Amino acid sequence: MLFGGALELVLVGWATSRPITNLPLMVLDHDRSQESRRFIVDLENTGTFALEPMVTNVETIEQALLRGEINAALVIPPDFSEDFSSAAQQPTLAVILNGAESIPALTAQRAIEGVAQEWGDRLAVSRIGMDPDAMEGFLPSLRVWFNEALNEAYYTTPAELGLMLEFTVLIFAALSFSRERELGTLEQLLVMPFSSLEIIIGKAIPVMIIGLFDFALMLALTHLFFGVPVRGSLTLLFLLATGYVLVELSKGLVISVMVKTQHQAFLMVMLIGMVDFMFTGYAAPVESMPQVVRFISNFIPAYHWLEIVRGILLKASGLAVLWPHVMALAIIGVVIVTFSIRFVRRTLQ
Amino acid sequence: MVLITPTMILMIMAYALTVDLEHIPIAVLDQSRTKISRMFIQQITAGDDLDLFAQVGSIDEIELMLVRGEVKAAIILAPDFSNQVLSMRGMPMQVIIDGTEPESGNFAVDHIGQRVERFIRDVMSDRMQALGIPEQALLPIDLRVRAWYNPGLEPRVDMIPGLISMVLGFPALSVALALAHEREHGTLEQLMVSPIGRADLLIGKMIPYIIVGMANVVLMPILAMLWFDIPFNGSFPLFLVLSAFFLFGILSMGIIIGVFMRTQAAAMAVSFLLIFFPGFFLTGIFFPIASMPEIMRMEAIFLPGTHYALITRGLFLTAVGMDVLWPYAVMLVGLGILFTGVAALFFKKRLG
Repeated sequence: MLFGGALELVLVGWATSRPITNLPLMVLDHDRSQESRRFIVDLENTGTFALEPMVTNVETIEQALLRGEINAALVIPPDFSEDFSSAAQQPTLAVILNGAESIPALTAQRAIEGVAQEWGDRLAVSRIGMDPDAMEGFLPSLRVWFNEALNEAYYTTPAELGLMLEFTVLIFAALSFSRERELGTLEQLLVMPFSSLEIIIGKAIPVMIIGLFDFALMLALTHLFFGVPVRGSLTLLFLLATGYVLVELSKGLVISVMVKTQHQAFLMVMLIGMVDFMFTGYAAPVESMPQVVRFISNFIPAYHWLEIVRGILLKASGLAVLWPHVMALAIIGVVIVTFSIRFVRRTLQ
Repeated sequence: MVLITPTMILMIMAYALTVDLEHIPIAVLDQSRTKISRMFIQQITAGDDLDLFAQVGSIDEIELMLVRGEVKAAIILAPDFSNQVLSMRGMPMQVIIDGTEPESGNFAVDHIGQRVERFIRDVMSDRMQALGIPEQALLPIDLRVRAWYNPGLEPRVDMIPGLISMVLGFPALSVALALAHEREHGTLEQLMVSPIGRADLLIGKMIPYIIVGMANVVLMPILAMLWFDIPFNGSFPLFLVLSAFFLFGILSMGIIIGVFMRTQAAAMAVSFLLIFFPGFFLTGIFFPIASMPEIMRMEAIFLPGTHYALITRGLFLTAVGMDVLWPYAVMLVGLGILFTGVAALFFKKRLG
């Protein structure tokens, strides 16, 4: 699980931490002019699309959309270049997107809109007889902070890493007692001259070590393979990682004594892990979720942990900024750890 | 609980995806402080999309808000903003976005850009009138965008059908664990001495899980339609048949793992790594397969979820029939036979 998990993280990161490119685009060019060809070339140059062979009728596009072979189609009407060279006509373009895959569809839409806007601006400037260079002043200068090159790995890998770490710790912790119970060795353990607290600690330490080692390994790999930086304090990160692993570990131990078989333990881990994954910001930013969900996020350790990881890795944040999340994690941690020890002790006795 | 785990997880995941991006908090630093700049700020934050979190006095405050994650973007208007606008020389401003949250960042950039565009056109139309150029000369290119099958391009509409392929992987995790469980307890050897063929035995092991899976297959579209308002446009009987094919394919993956792993713990780890994690990230639900590197595209072909995600989206949204879906159906059955065959081949050897 340890090395497999780290390897898998690299594979998945490699496959998905890249811009969306190569989306099949079909073009029906009724105009066949220099203008329309240049527009198509501009679309190709965005890098978002892989151009399919030109088609001559709408039916081909419809068929391709139905079969899911293309993500987008562009129809250039016959008067496109004519409108373009006229004094006041508004050029029209039709775009059809395959909504059955919304993420590529939105990417395609964004790319096409970008090119169309550029063309529209150029057209407007030439029509009022402005110097095209003078237009530059109207473009807002854009700066991206914390991720200047807009490297996708910066935001996908922390969430994937978080998911992998949580599942690893939860699975190992959840198996600790359920495995012994299923194999009938729990009784032997209980008659040994250890207090139940000692047994719990004995079970917790290996999982703790596994979790932290796993974290270190995955962090090193994401740093080496994807160039994800560590801009803040590495010591602070590991200190907080220890706390976070302890919290997840305690959850795992509670599951471990609640269930009867390893199988049930596994399913519980999956269920809890998926709920937590919602709050890592992988699929959608937590800030945009409904009020109720955002309220719940305050009680989810994984949410605070991901905020901490992103803060330290990318924003060089220290405790001065992260303290609300650290506090929240600490409070949740104390509650879960206390509950877990008492609950596990009682169940063991 | 084991019975409806997939449906429960689908429910949870669906909630995470019913997110509409709006009310993105932004900060504004207005160094110009004139009527025009105030008007511009007002226009930018007038809608539901961008919320003015704070109007700040220095760039340090912007930095702090971005680091804390309180705002996702910031706009800085230069001191000569109004002069430049009035004299038609430009709009000196800077937009800063938080690169760690590209979704909100891109959203902010797009929407600020639209407002800027509109503002420029408003300002320019004065000059146009002076020059006697008709108003419509300045209209942008009329881009008529239509999205088929999901007109609002709402992520949940295609994500929920796609996620069905991920959550239906759970019975496969169960079958892997169940086989490993028998190994651990030594009950598998008893079965081996009975006169049942190896492949028959493995398929027999699958049947209860296919039944459990099918119960979820019936439940999930109902949940999707009634609770999440997702259309189901295709043929339901075809959906049932192809879902059974998928269950055969994915359960065969579970069987292979169960045959090779000696303990449940190992089976758990491996099925998590081979079924769950790739089923989530590599089957094209979130990230298009076309954009993946060549080798990963090859791997995606060997994941039953890749083909099934195309089937579920096809049947929920595009309403296609067997004439389009047959290659995926063939792949599912083929993968199932391949995996079960490999498992049966190694079954005896591993036990001995």
